[in-house]
Amino acid sequence: MGELAVSAAAEDELVSMGLGSCVGVALVDRERGIAGLAHVMLPEANAAYSAPAKFADRAVPALLASTERLGARRERTVAVLAGGAQMFAGNGRTAGVAGLDLGARNEAAVRTALAEAGIPVRAAATGGDRGRTVRVCVGDARVTVKEAGGEEQSLWHPAAPADDLVEIS
Amino acid sequence: MNVHYDEQQLDALRELASIGSGNAATALAQMLGRSVELQVPRALALPLADALDAVGEPDAMTASVVMQVGGDAEIVVLLLFSYPGAASLCELLGVEPRSELGDSALGEIGNILGASAVGALAQMTGLALEPQPPQVLYDMLGAVVASVLSATVGELDLALVLDAELDVEGAACGLSFLLLPTAGGVDELLGRLGLGAEGASGQ
Repeated sequence: MGELAVSAAAEDELVSMGLGSCVGVALVDRERGIAGLAHVMLPEANAAYSAPAKFADRAVPALLASTERLGARRERTVAVLAGGAQMFAGNGRTAGVAGLDLGARNEAAVRTALAEAGIPVRAAATGGDRGRTVRVCVGDARVTVKEAGGEEQSLWHPAAPADDLVEIS
Repeated sequence: MNVHYDEQQLDALRELASIGSGNAATALAQMLGRSVELQVPRALALPLADALDAVGEPDAMTASVVMQVGGDAEIVVLLLFSYPGAASLCELLGVEPRSELGDSALGEIGNILGASAVGALAQMTGLALEPQPPQVLYDMLGAVVASVLSATVGELDLALVLDAELDVEGAACGLSFLLLPTAGGVDELLGRLGLGAEGASGQ
């Protein structure tokens, strides 16, 4: 939660378990076999902060910089998203805790940050009202998603045509 | 934002957690007509990532009741049950688990436990606290807890988790009872106890 990880080791698997309103942002450079995953909690940072991966507007540049340090090329990097669910009824408009539902705002902020960085989103399992677990297999650059109570399914793999946009929700 | 709670403040929050969950345990005992044992309540101030781990396995499927509390202090009350725990609790109440009636019974348990804990906090602190209708979810533990923490303390690096385990006598239906205040909510609670300001710089 609020963390990021990158790897160039084929045997590694990057996992974000139990994403609710949080968004798992995976960046993959399949040619170099480099992948990164950030667990974004909030749309934007409102102050100087030590944990950039928590905030969409900082997590995307930080994650990209980390994969580039391992040798990933920005122009080959693609993004896969999972999470951003609306877990709770009421949308924060009730008299309860304001902004309890951040899912859609998180996803929008992640997509904005990716667009600014010039990274295309190739697949997304976002929205809805169920939690998800996302796994990125670094070696074969496969991304799978498992929805709460469901089966693990393939979300994106390198053989997918570049212009084939996958949406699971 | 840097937040720090000192030992005295944590002791006071632990006391609030203890009284709140004690009231919740009494309410559950009355509802079920069985004795309910309250395990030592904790007040943990943890880095966000650790807060999730302290609650349990993030992708474990969990039945939960979420109750938002508004008013002078914002708090989320969270009841967490294992699936078998939720089922045996429904059976104790004579309703079918995972049915509309079963969900409504779990929601009502959340309502009664949450309201009695929040009522006790309100009485101790003089704050006006307004519990909202509960919501019953069957989902991954991490998805529920992280979504609540994002909204309550997401901007801080520190989560305050007030929790207790409630065990029902002669039935395998224990539950975790959590109070997750926003940072502002913690400041309000501590302020009313005369322990605010200098120690916890929430803003």
